[in-house]
Amino acid sequence: MRILADLHNHSCLSPCASLEESPSLIAHLGAERGLRLVALTDHNSALNCPAFGQACRREGIAPVFGIEASSVEEVHVLCLFATVAEALSFGETLRGLLQIVPYDPEKLGDEVVVDADELVLDLPDYYLGAALSIGFDELCAEASRRGAIVIPAHVDRPMFSVASQLGFLPPGPYDAVESMSEPPRELSLGLCAISGSDSHYPEHVCRRPFLVDLPGGLLAASAAADASPTAEAALFAALRAELRESRVEPYWAAKT
Amino acid sequence: MRISELAPLLGLEVVQGEYSDRELSSGYASDLLSDVMANAKADGVLVTVQAHKNAIAVASLVGLAAIIVCNSRPMPEDMLEAAKTEGVALFRSAQSAFEISGRLWVALHRP
Repeated sequence: MRILADLHNHSCLSPCASLEESPSLIAHLGAERGLRLVALTDHNSALNCPAFGQACRREGIAPVFGIEASSVEEVHVLCLFATVAEALSFGETLRGLLQIVPYDPEKLGDEVVVDADELVLDLPDYYLGAALSIGFDELCAEASRRGAIVIPAHVDRPMFSVASQLGFLPPGPYDAVESMSEPPRELSLGLCAISGSDSHYPEHVCRRPFLVDLPGGLLAASAAADASPTAEAALFAALRAELRESRVEPYWAAKT
Repeated sequence: MRISELAPLLGLEVVQGEYSDRELSSGYASDLLSDVMANAKADGVLVTVQAHKNAIAVASLVGLAAIIVCNSRPMPEDMLEAAKTEGVALFRSAQSAFEISGRLWVALHRP
């Protein structure tokens, strides 16, 4: 069935996102605005993914567990996983690579780990908005090795993108690129281009989704409260296949 | 050397001129904001091509006095607004970061 999906959302764990934007609010607004498949992609951390998974299933939509990782060149990459465990494990690795920057929540913004009922669980005392000490190529290779769907983020934006930091997209193990509009070939290498909301505030949720065909049964199984890792993996594989075959309709194409 | 002396000396365009004039401590040239965050000094001037709002956020975090954007890079309106709010002086030059840094170094090290 043809559904609306969005693979780029920040929760209150990202220092630059609104404190209001809890994982459960993203799930709730996403469902209300028509999304059936949603990813959480906080900067360099997956600590809000457990709450996000629970919240999505409460709303009856399928979650994807991700991280927007920031390479040493300050290129942002969406690294998406089928299960919370894989995302958390990748997050652990990134934690060890995060550059240490003095973190003042007053100036840089709050970072809040919550549960599915918006109860505060933790306030990390390190800055998640910093760059990692790992190069873009190596970062993508490592994410891919761990089974991630790898998507360079907003490739055509004037900051934190392949375009602004590298000038072009080097060959790599990408499943797709995320773009603000139809990207030129040097930024997509002819790969599938998706749109993404990159939501940081409640009003951003579902502002730039994309259309994709996924089996209804797999979506339902992954959206169920008792979704098994097998169900999660099956939907994830179907999503990857659609991306690899470029069978998606990004926001800018659907609008016309 | 004071912030107000930068524009006449280096032939800079003043893009955002609402700041409290003060003595410059140092200069720093970089296009990686994480590097600026870690290594630039308070009351310093940043030479960069990063022309967007996040550069102002980093400047205010570090306590930078001014930013010189090189190569005539256009600056979006929200960057100017942020600079005004934060009181960060914003200048633009047609010259490269190499040229500006060289001339700035001489000016800052003049006895």
